[in-house]
Order: sequence, then structure tokens, then C-alpha cells
Amino acid sequence: MSMTSFIVDVEKCSGCGLCVVACKDEHVGSAYEPWTKPQPATGHFWMNLRSYETGKIPKVSVSHMPTMCQHCANAPCMKVCAENAINRRDDGLVWIDQDLCTGSGLCQEACPYDVIYMNAEIGVAQKCTGCAHRVDEGLLPRCVGICPHGAILFGDETGDVMIAAAANGDPLEVYHSEFNADPRVLWKGLPRRIVSGTVIDRDTNDVIQDVDVAVRDLFYDQVVSTVTDAFGDFWLRHLESDRKYQLTVKKVGYGEQVRVLSTDSDRDLGEVVLVRTD
Amino acid sequence: MKENTRIVYVSHPASGLARSNFPLVCHIEDGEIVRILPYRIPEQVRLYEIKTSSRGSFSRSRKEVQMPLAYAWKQRVNLNRVEYPLLRDDWSPAAPNTKGRGLSGYSRISWDRALDIVVGQLERIKREYGSMEPVLVQADGHGHSGYLHSLHFWGHHLFDSTREHLGWGWWTQQVRNPDSWEGYYWGAKHVWGFDSTLGEPYQDAVWDDILEHTEMVLFSGNDPEATGLGMSGSTALEMIRWLKRAGIKIVAISPDLNYAGAAHADKWIPINPNTDAALYLAVAHVWIGERSFDEAYVSTHTVGYEEFERYVGGGDDGVPKTPEWAEAITGIPAHTIRALAREWAAKKTSLSVYFGGPKIRGTFSHVAARMEAYILAMQGIGRPGRQFLRTGAPSLYKQFLAQVPRYPDVDSHGIALNPIIAYAFGTGPKSPVFVPRTLAAEAILDAPIEWRGTAAALAPAADQFSEHRFPPDEGHPGIKLVWNENGSQAGSWSNGWKWLEALRSSAVDFVVGIHPWLENDILYSDLILPAQTNFEHEDLISVQRSDLLAMFYQDRALEPVGESKTDYEIHQLIAERLGAGAGFPPADDRLRGAYEETLAFTKHGISWDEFKERKEIVYDCPTWEEWIDIKNEYGFGPHNGGLHRFWTEGKGLETPSGKIEFVSARIAELDPDNRERPPLARWVENAEQKGSSRSREFPLAVVSNHPRLRFHVQGDDVDWIRELGKVTAADGYMYEPCWIHPQDAETRGIKSSDIVMLFNERGAVLFGAVVTERIIPGSVCVEHGAKMDPVIMNENVVDRGGCINLISPSASERHAEGEQVSIPEMNVSAFLVEVERVDPTSIQADPGEYAAIVRGDRQS
Repeated sequence: MSMTSFIVDVEKCSGCGLCVVACKDEHVGSAYEPWTKPQPATGHFWMNLRSYETGKIPKVSVSHMPTMCQHCANAPCMKVCAENAINRRDDGLVWIDQDLCTGSGLCQEACPYDVIYMNAEIGVAQKCTGCAHRVDEGLLPRCVGICPHGAILFGDETGDVMIAAAANGDPLEVYHSEFNADPRVLWKGLPRRIVSGTVIDRDTNDVIQDVDVAVRDLFYDQVVSTVTDAFGDFWLRHLESDRKYQLTVKKVGYGEQVRVLSTDSDRDLGEVVLVRTD
Repeated sequence: MKENTRIVYVSHPASGLARSNFPLVCHIEDGEIVRILPYRIPEQVRLYEIKTSSRGSFSRSRKEVQMPLAYAWKQRVNLNRVEYPLLRDDWSPAAPNTKGRGLSGYSRISWDRALDIVVGQLERIKREYGSMEPVLVQADGHGHSGYLHSLHFWGHHLFDSTREHLGWGWWTQQVRNPDSWEGYYWGAKHVWGFDSTLGEPYQDAVWDDILEHTEMVLFSGNDPEATGLGMSGSTALEMIRWLKRAGIKIVAISPDLNYAGAAHADKWIPINPNTDAALYLAVAHVWIGERSFDEAYVSTHTVGYEEFERYVGGGDDGVPKTPEWAEAITGIPAHTIRALAREWAAKKTSLSVYFGGPKIRGTFSHVAARMEAYILAMQGIGRPGRQFLRTGAPSLYKQFLAQVPRYPDVDSHGIALNPIIAYAFGTGPKSPVFVPRTLAAEAILDAPIEWRGTAAALAPAADQFSEHRFPPDEGHPGIKLVWNENGSQAGSWSNGWKWLEALRSSAVDFVVGIHPWLENDILYSDLILPAQTNFEHEDLISVQRSDLLAMFYQDRALEPVGESKTDYEIHQLIAERLGAGAGFPPADDRLRGAYEETLAFTKHGISWDEFKERKEIVYDCPTWEEWIDIKNEYGFGPHNGGLHRFWTEGKGLETPSGKIEFVSARIAELDPDNRERPPLARWVENAEQKGSSRSREFPLAVVSNHPRLRFHVQGDDVDWIRELGKVTAADGYMYEPCWIHPQDAETRGIKSSDIVMLFNERGAVLFGAVVTERIIPGSVCVEHGAKMDPVIMNENVVDRGGCINLISPSASERHAEGEQVSIPEMNVSAFLVEVERVDPTSIQADPGEYAAIVRGDRQS
């Protein structure tokens, strides 16, 4: 059996919550032995929709990350379980044997992704199983099946769908690679730092289109550039965290603006004023 | 899935009006719902394809997904149900104790006794008053419905049957005002007609035009991620993806960065609520100054433009409607208004709504809608790429052809459409004795009342000037009995507190509630009759709220809860007891008869029994080539749609001149002195705006949208929905969220998760604060439909549940007592409040205390 993977495309997710509800629909009140006992009525989010807002009005960005168990090959939860209750299938899906589990909660504390939940009613730890019971019937996990935007994919990593997804657009990456957990869930479009603003001419009280806006990474020298649009807006969305960037804003006929920004957080510059030189 | 798993198609739980989205696919094991899955359109069904010359082809996925609430319904089937007929403990025919409504408990009675009580009350009304006119039949609201077992009309039909078969005269018909279209109905219709589509331009083949030509789409208060997904399923989301794939820029104009705006818009232009008319005037000002509008079209396709141009230039009132003028009103910087105007003129721009959003149901939303029509006319609406666009189904918004490729015969005869919905959605009330829903509370509390217009959804524009009164004459008893199917009024219409006060009026002897759940104003009933959910009976599912048309046979998924019955059966039993059973033939006969009029039977020869066996019929779509031929018959080229015909012909609209009217000839003739709605639309100030005297005390405006996770007032009690949507405050209570900008939060000492009170003269509602940049400063944003939970705070009754409509304005407020309500509009968004942080210890949830205060037992 070859490895299966999830691919989550953050830019396609609109935060609708269907994946969260579908997961509950499947698991609340239903057991799928041996992979999992029933999920409790409330309080568990084996699919956890994590949403983030950044920026200042009107330059606000919202990202949604539907976060399930990352099904790690080097899983901290597996290492810490005293009962050896956490197993990994040949296809890569990680599951907690809830007959062996004594509910110590160590796996929940160990999981750096915070995707394990304690079921107080039956005294065990629980989490996303990748809908292993459905996979074995040739069906998709519920979250994948219901997502109307195709933001969550699942399949044999050598299959067409997965290869196409990998080739198309942003690179695939692991979430929090510093955990060294070797997850089977790959992400596209993980939010990066944003620098944004609106360029205006205060004298005429108009926006300025077609302004060249560029940022140069002062540590690694890469340059990312754009031009302001019809509303004078610019967005630079794929910047690295904790760098220093030199920002240049210029257009023929106007005085140039240069600043240094650090990307310890997103930077919305609000109105950036250029003054005519002619 | 196990071997004994039954698969049952169940009508979408929220629609109402006898129509459905694509159904839920329910897995039933051992009498319980195990899971609910999305529907997959079978491989053999031919999907449509929209081809463009350079942007590729557009179709839809076979996966058909509904809103999250749909997949959480197994949680709600048994939750808080009315299981048996319930009689209020302190009600009796001799002693109605009306002050106990909303406070007293209920006890179970038998169906036999319940029907006796109902029959006894109706016969008493007949005896004492001579007709059923003292009975106000509410019967409208979204809710569980298949073709037959639906809300919206059986109550009306019951009293229509007693009229027809017993000679019992008329009843007071509550007319469902055009809630989803208000400003377009009361305003835009007078500019461009479109009576059959409630003031919104035709959507015939509109996507063929948009995807070929359009360069920019303005989402005006449009949120397909919320309203679209709820009302028409995943087609609404597919349509957004079409726009993106076609490279069409999306600009969202809305006070809040709504869900579609956040996920899909290229630009968000925050705007103060209900100030869109000012924005549109300023855009016109830019176009006039730069001569960047379609002057030829304006001269051939419109009348009265000169007056509008003079008004925009300040010729009438000395106030030029510049971007600077509009900035002060709208909160949009003048530079952005100019940029929008220029881009709108330079690019082929269409404007998109899905039922109009909050913009279309604020005070004087008819002004915004008329201004919108004016400036769409200035850019030659109907010209390729320049249309009015609805992002979602259903397709009743057409003149001849559906908005996506569809065979015309499938459109007209493919699915069973229950004609009986005309009681709720028709050209006029059946009964000559009626009140618009926006004046229902006034009809009970403030009678006599006078107003203009029947408010019927499909009434022609001239109807808006007809004059009416309730009661119809002096000496009339008024409302003595309320028939309340569905219980949604307080949470989804205006000034909910007033409606609850009306139900407790000593004038009303008897209130009947018919509903599956113990909730909302059903708890103000004297007798509650238990209705079923869609899961508990067979029915026909007519899929009209989608881009494909289909019919499904709905088996009974679950055993009826308790002694609940279908809406149809409840009214049938009552009719039979009264002797009017002829109005309620057997359900099966109605279903079979309806099915046998559809193409599935008449053209494809699928018998009723075969249909019940195979469960589903999904109609094929035409090929693109077939569609081109079909369109050609109606005067559309391959890449034409929307108002293309008007653009080519310059006439034929449902206005007196047949053209777009800047100056409405009808208003000039029938209501010329109406300061709110003069022949030429003007910017009008009102009491719910910044700058009004009230705004000193109540400085923030509430924007209220259709909810993301509820369907109007449904689903607020489902735990999974609450976990996703509510804010848990320090007191452990799950509050409805209220979005507030950091500037407004800071001056009030409010942080996220604080409990806040939104209040005005009409009362107070509590929320959990969400401090966010997603709402324009000076406004707060809450979704409507939260479930009421009245409590006491500092000796006053407040709602802890977050039901914002309790404190929204009523249509009658602007008028003195007894004065005619010239436009009985619905106002549930853009109204003023103040917001204060609340100390949780001041909340008194003791039901006894609450009851004492409400009854007035306790002196405060």
C-alpha cells in the first residue's frame, strides 16, 4: 500500500465550516472499530478550523486553516504513549487504539499541533483518523468529500489528483517544519507576511495607479515587486517572517519613497503619499 | 456503511415555499440518522457548459453541497421538540389570561381535545363576529418544506376552504412583504419595472454575457458564501469560482468584510450602512464631470435624465454630490470613490447581489435601489459585460430563459411547483382583508392603521399606491385570534419586541402555534400543535433552488417524533372537523397529481410508481450548441444575456414609458408629494442615520446580515453550529457575536469576548464582542436569527440570546399615530444603537424574576 496524504490549500478555504460539521456528523455517536470510538457530542474538533485576521481596515486579510491530525511519521504522541496505544498504518494514517488507551493525556500535551482531544466520558484520547474506516471502503474522508471549494484533497500521493495539486501553484510544505514531525498533511498557500498599502496624491486627493512597489530582502537579497492597481492598492503577500525589507515606492513624475520594514508582523502601511515633482 | 443502511433523500431543511435545494442524502440505521452526505449528480446527467471565446469553458462540479447546518440536522430532529399538543396552563376559553403568554408553562393534551379547542374557538369567532376576519393567519417563514408538507400556505388555505365550503367569509391574511427585495421592490421598480422579478433585472442567460465580456463585478452587500450557499447550495460558490477563473475582478462594497468578501474579493470598500445612495450619487458626479458615461444610451433608453444631472450637480439644493460630499456620509475616502467611478466607467462592470444584502432592507433602502438603477443606466445596463447579476439560484428571476443553460420546457414543466404558494408569494392577497407582515404588530396594538400597497411580492408597481386600512371598517372587531405557523417573526422581521407585545394583547383571545420546536414566539401560544420535520414523512422534493432542476421522492426517514403531524395533515384534520375537508384531498393524490403534470411523466413516461422506486430525476442540460439555438429564438446571440434585449431595443420595460425612468411617471401621477420617495430619487435624511438627533444618544449603526451558519432563525440551538459561531464569555454563556471595530471598542473599554449590550429606545440585546477590523468604525455587525433568551438586567427585560431584530425599527415609526404609512418597508439593518460593556453579575436569569417583571407584578 502506498502512502496517502492530505493536501490542504489555504487559499481555497473560505472558512465555511462544512468540514468541521461533516467530521462531527460522521463521528459523534458512531464508533468505527478499531480506529476510534464515538466522538463526544461537543467540545472536540478533530477537524479544527483555525482562522486568522490581519491588517487594518480596508486592507484586511483573512486566512483559514482547516487543521486535522497531521498524521506524522515522526509523531511525538507515539513516542510518549506509555501503552503503545498509538499506531501508524501502512498507508500513513495514525490512530489511537482506544481499548489500550488509559487516558493519561500525555499524547495531548506532546502533540505540537494541538489536534488531540480527551474524551472525559470514556477516558481516552481521540483525534482525526483520516476517516480510516471510509478509506478502507474506497471512500474519501468526510472533510474532503464535503469541501465545496476543493480546499482539502486526499489520496495516494502517486495518484493523478495529488500530483496535479502538487504541480499547480504554490509549493507544498509541511506546517511547522521545525517540529520535525514528518507529517503526511501537506499545505499550500500557508500565510506568509504581507506588506500592503494605498498610494495617494494628497494634493489632488486621488489614488495613484501603476506605481512601482518593490521590497528587497536585506538578508537574502530577493526582490518582490508589484504595481498599484486601479485603486492605488498594492499587496505583497509572500514575504518571509522576521526579515528586514527595503521598500521602494516610485513612479515617474513623483518623488520616490523608501523605507525599511521588518516583518516580525504583517505591515499595512495605510496611505502612502507620493508628491509630484513636476 | 452497513448492509442495513437505508439511504433516504430528504428535502433541505430550511427552504419553505414548497421548493428545495438539492436534497440531503441521509443514511438511516436502526431508525436513526447515522450521517448526512452531500449529493452527487449522477454521471449520466448532462451538465451545462458555458463557452467563451477566450476565457475557456465553465461548468459545475457534480458535487452538490448545502450549508453546514444541513449536515448537523440529526442533532436537531429530537431537540426541544413539540411532541404533543400543548395547552397553556393558565389559558381557558373563558379566561385567556393573555399576560401569561410567553411566561406560563404548558401541559400535554390529546389531539382530540386540541382539535376540539381549535374548532370551538373558530366556531365561536363565526358566531360572535360572522366571519373569520378576526383571525390573523401568519403562516409564512422559511422552514421545513417539501412540495406538499410546507410552511407558508396551509393556514391560509384552511380559511380559504371554510370560506369556500362553509360560507364563513374571509380571514385576515398576513401578506409576506417582499423582505428579500425591499429596496428593489419599493424603489427600483419605479425606475425600470421588472414586476415579476421584484424589481431586479432579468437574469436570462446572464452568465453567458458575464463570463464572455465582464471585467469587473461589484458585490454590493453580496455574500454568496453565506446567503448563496444557504439558499441555493454549492452553485453559488461555483459561480464565484467562475468569476475568478475568468479573470474578473471582484470589488466588495459593504460595511463589513463578509465571508465572500474575505475569501474572494480583490478589493473591499467599507461603507457606512445604508449610505449606498450617496456613493452612487458621487459616482454619477464623477462620470458627469469626466463625461465618462453612456450618453447615447441615456438619451435613447431613459427619460428624465436631465433632472437627475441637475440634482447631482447641486442645481436643486445647492449641494453638488461630489466625492467629498459623499465621503462625509459614506466613510469612503473621496479618492477611493473617484477611483471606483473611473474603474467602473473604464471596465465592463456588472453589479451583483444575492437577494440584495443588508443594503436593501434599511430605512429608505428604496433610495439606494433607485440610485443604483440610475447609475447602472448611465453605463448602459444590458450592454455586453454590463449587467445586474444574481450569484445563485433560483431561476424565477427571468423573462424567458434561465440564468444558466436549461431547456425551456424543463424550466416551465420539469418540476412540480405548488400553486398554493400564491398565498405567500403572489400578485396580491386572496382575501380583501389583509395586513402586510411589517404592520402585523400594529394591526393588533395600534388599530386602525392605514398604509399604501398590498406588499404582495409579485404585485405590479402601481399596486404600491393603493390605499388600505385595517380593520376594514369601524365597528370591526379587529384581530381576536392569531394563527401562527412557524414562529419566526420576532427574530427575522422588524421590532420583534413589539410583535411579542402584540401577542400578549388582551384583545387577542387565542393564539395557535404550529411548529416542530418549542422556541421563539411559539412560546407565546395558548395552544401549540406539533408539526413534523422533513425527516418524518414522505413528500415530493422539487429542486428549484439550484442551477439544475430535479425531483426526488422523499421517503419517511424517521418515525414521527411524539404525536407530531405534517402541516398538511394538521390543517386537514381541522378542516374535516369543521366540515370543509373538501379543501384538503388526500396527500398522496395531490403528490401524484402534481408529479403527473411534469415532463418526467408527460414526456419521459416515468410513472409515479417508477419515480417512487428510482427516487431521483435530474434533468439534462442542453449542449452549448442547443443552447445557442434556444437563445437565438429569443433574440440572444451566443454571448448575450441579461438585459441584452432592452439594450438593443430601448423599450418594453414595465414602466409607463417602457424605458428606464429617472423621473418616475407613475410616482409623479400617483404620489408626487411623498417626501421620502419623490418622482426623482433624492438623498433623504432619516432618523436612523449618523447626524440625526437620535444619533447623539445612539451613535453606532447596526448592520445585520443573513447568518453564515443559521438559516434565518433556524439552527441556533444546534450544538455544533453554536460551537462554530458563538462567543463564550467569562460567565460561560455562549453569546451571539457582535463585530466591533477597535476604535469603537477602545472608547468603550470593550475587549473581545466581553459581554456587550446593544440598545436603543426599543430595548436591549446582549452579545459577545469580537473586536475586528472587518467592520467599518461607527458600525457594528451582527447576524440575525439568534434564538431569544429573555432575562432581567438592572430591572429591565433584555434578550441574552442575541436576537437583534427585537430592536430594529418598525415601518410605522416614522409616522404619527393614525397617519398613513406610505411605504410599509421592512427595516432590519442600518439602525442606530449604543453599545456598552456589561458586567455579567448584573444579569439575572431567574425565570421567576423575569416573569414577575414582565407581568408587572413587581414594582420596580
